[in-house]
Amino acid sequence: MEILQNIAMGFQTVLEPLNLLLCFLGVLTGTLVGVLPGLGPVAAMSLLLPTTFYVTPVSGIIMLAGIYYGAMYGGSTTSILVNIPGEAASVVTCLDGYQMARQGRAGPALGIAAFASFIAGTLATLGLMLIAPPLSRMALKFGSPEYFALIFLGLTTVTYLASGPMWKSLMMAAVGLFLGCIGMDVAIGASRFTFGIIELYDGVGIVPVAMGLFGIAEVLLNVEQSMDRTVFTSKIRGLFPTSRDWAVSMPSILRGSVLGFLLGVLPGAGPLIASFAAYAMEKRISKESAAFGTGMIQGVAGPEAANNSATGGAFVPLLTLGIPPNAVMALLLGALIIFGVQPGPRLVVEHPQLFWGVIASMYIGNIMLLILNLPLIGIWIQILKVPYPILFPLILLFCVIGSYSLNNSITEVFIMILFGILGYFLRKLEFEPAPLILALVLGPMLELNFRQSLAMGDGRLLFFVERPISAIILGIALLLLIMPIVRGNLSSKAKTGELSGPPS
Amino acid sequence: MRNGKVNRDSISSGLFFLLGLFICLYSLTQKIGTLAAPDSGLMPLLSGAAICILALIGFAWAAMRKQPGEPPRPLFRGYAWRRSLFTLGALLAFLFLMKPLGFFLATIFFIGFLLRTIVPQRWAVVGIVAVLTAFFTYLIFEIWLQAQLPRGPWGI
Repeated sequence: MEILQNIAMGFQTVLEPLNLLLCFLGVLTGTLVGVLPGLGPVAAMSLLLPTTFYVTPVSGIIMLAGIYYGAMYGGSTTSILVNIPGEAASVVTCLDGYQMARQGRAGPALGIAAFASFIAGTLATLGLMLIAPPLSRMALKFGSPEYFALIFLGLTTVTYLASGPMWKSLMMAAVGLFLGCIGMDVAIGASRFTFGIIELYDGVGIVPVAMGLFGIAEVLLNVEQSMDRTVFTSKIRGLFPTSRDWAVSMPSILRGSVLGFLLGVLPGAGPLIASFAAYAMEKRISKESAAFGTGMIQGVAGPEAANNSATGGAFVPLLTLGIPPNAVMALLLGALIIFGVQPGPRLVVEHPQLFWGVIASMYIGNIMLLILNLPLIGIWIQILKVPYPILFPLILLFCVIGSYSLNNSITEVFIMILFGILGYFLRKLEFEPAPLILALVLGPMLELNFRQSLAMGDGRLLFFVERPISAIILGIALLLLIMPIVRGNLSSKAKTGELSGPPS
Repeated sequence: MRNGKVNRDSISSGLFFLLGLFICLYSLTQKIGTLAAPDSGLMPLLSGAAICILALIGFAWAAMRKQPGEPPRPLFRGYAWRRSLFTLGALLAFLFLMKPLGFFLATIFFIGFLLRTIVPQRWAVVGIVAVLTAFFTYLIFEIWLQAQLPRGPWGI
């Protein structure tokens, strides 16, 4: 009964006209950034974060959350019509979605993507609503060592799941941890690495860093490549999938929803991994696995369900433990802190309006997105036709305004540009910036809990493994760190024939 | 490494090692404390040390790969890198012009420059897009959201 009362309170909050409007603006902006290649949810959320300072924390978070799950909806449109992912998590939708469009089935592909997103988004919100409160209650028993272990696991998982060699992702996490040290020491207030720059006393802000690494760097990389793209322009009809389409897609949607939610909860996995995992699962289960990539509707339904469901799952660790599982959630955590809301297990008790309001807004937002995506498809196509050479100066301008208006400071813009240059070179050198963002946000929390744990344990490092929960979590983290080395050894042994036996 | 030449990973590892070393040395100027009472220098020292160790791993990884796959491939070959450079230059110029010229005028120049130089657009498109962008962003951010953007000699 209590959960019904709480969700009713959430709906009461979100149905206030301003919150409803901001939820709409959030999902609309999200769809827009999802549709537009080269502008992801991290950049868009960093860009719009300063505008939310004028409203209450609940309203602000409702809007920012809307951008995140809205982007997942929008991303599929570009994948299906242009064969370019509008958003990273929609990469896999290109495979079968674009083929369907080429076969004259763009309508059902767009339709099933929207319905799958809606069903998965709603199911994930339900999961979040049921799982988050008991998890919060359990997390209240956690002390500093457990928090340290959890944050450490989060960073390890992110680096484990990132593409490319693990040392590169770990390097990004280590650089992020260092950046998190800049500014006032979290425990005693001593200034570190500030070099007399006043703006650095509060630390390196996540917004200019995220905008630089994800917004500016992306533009710099895009402008030096060909900016031509062909939009699939033939008449799109039949957005509602046929009953046969539904029959084959529904199991994929349900499987994708469950898998996506579980992977979303895991630190580091997120929508991108979820969509790839769902595609692989569908291909493996299907009797026509060879036909995947030629326009199978399950190849659109499963991944689209998974990436939307993962966005809902990602809210679980953020709202219950105060630990963001990916870069977008790290930004939301930053926003919560700016709003003066302490994320963590007490959030549900101390800010029930925010907690339940955000959950309720996700139900409403998913309905809005379904309404927005199908009837407005023509508008999204027109937007896709705006040439990138006209679009990118606007993206840069919005990044400048966004970082400037944080503190009305040119220094923040300068920091953003510096990180833009850094991001440009990092991407060229095949380093992924996501672990850096996550470590930047988690760094101060990690340090505080590490130092508190050391003080509690009288300086004994074994203290971390004397407590069962932190010992288990650290064990998993260690396993993740060791696994690539073991796997590398096994594969090299297999290559030399030590494991596979003599060739027949 | 192949043919005695360095690849991208060994260069980046070298740079990261220097960064890590700098962080470690600078951290030592702060109080490190003890394990029972850690001070403000401990965490930067640990992160600096981690960067150094990972850089060494990266260097070894780059050197030991049996099939590096990529000989020293220039970072910019095959890309119109001058466009990135012009974009970056425009961004920095915009930053320095915003205060003396004011947001409105600086934005017109910034947008106009990028539209005309990166992938040249017709003058009419340049003019219309630059002025409309400056107008609407000013309206939204300065008037509606009261973002206090820099004002030039004409008050806008």
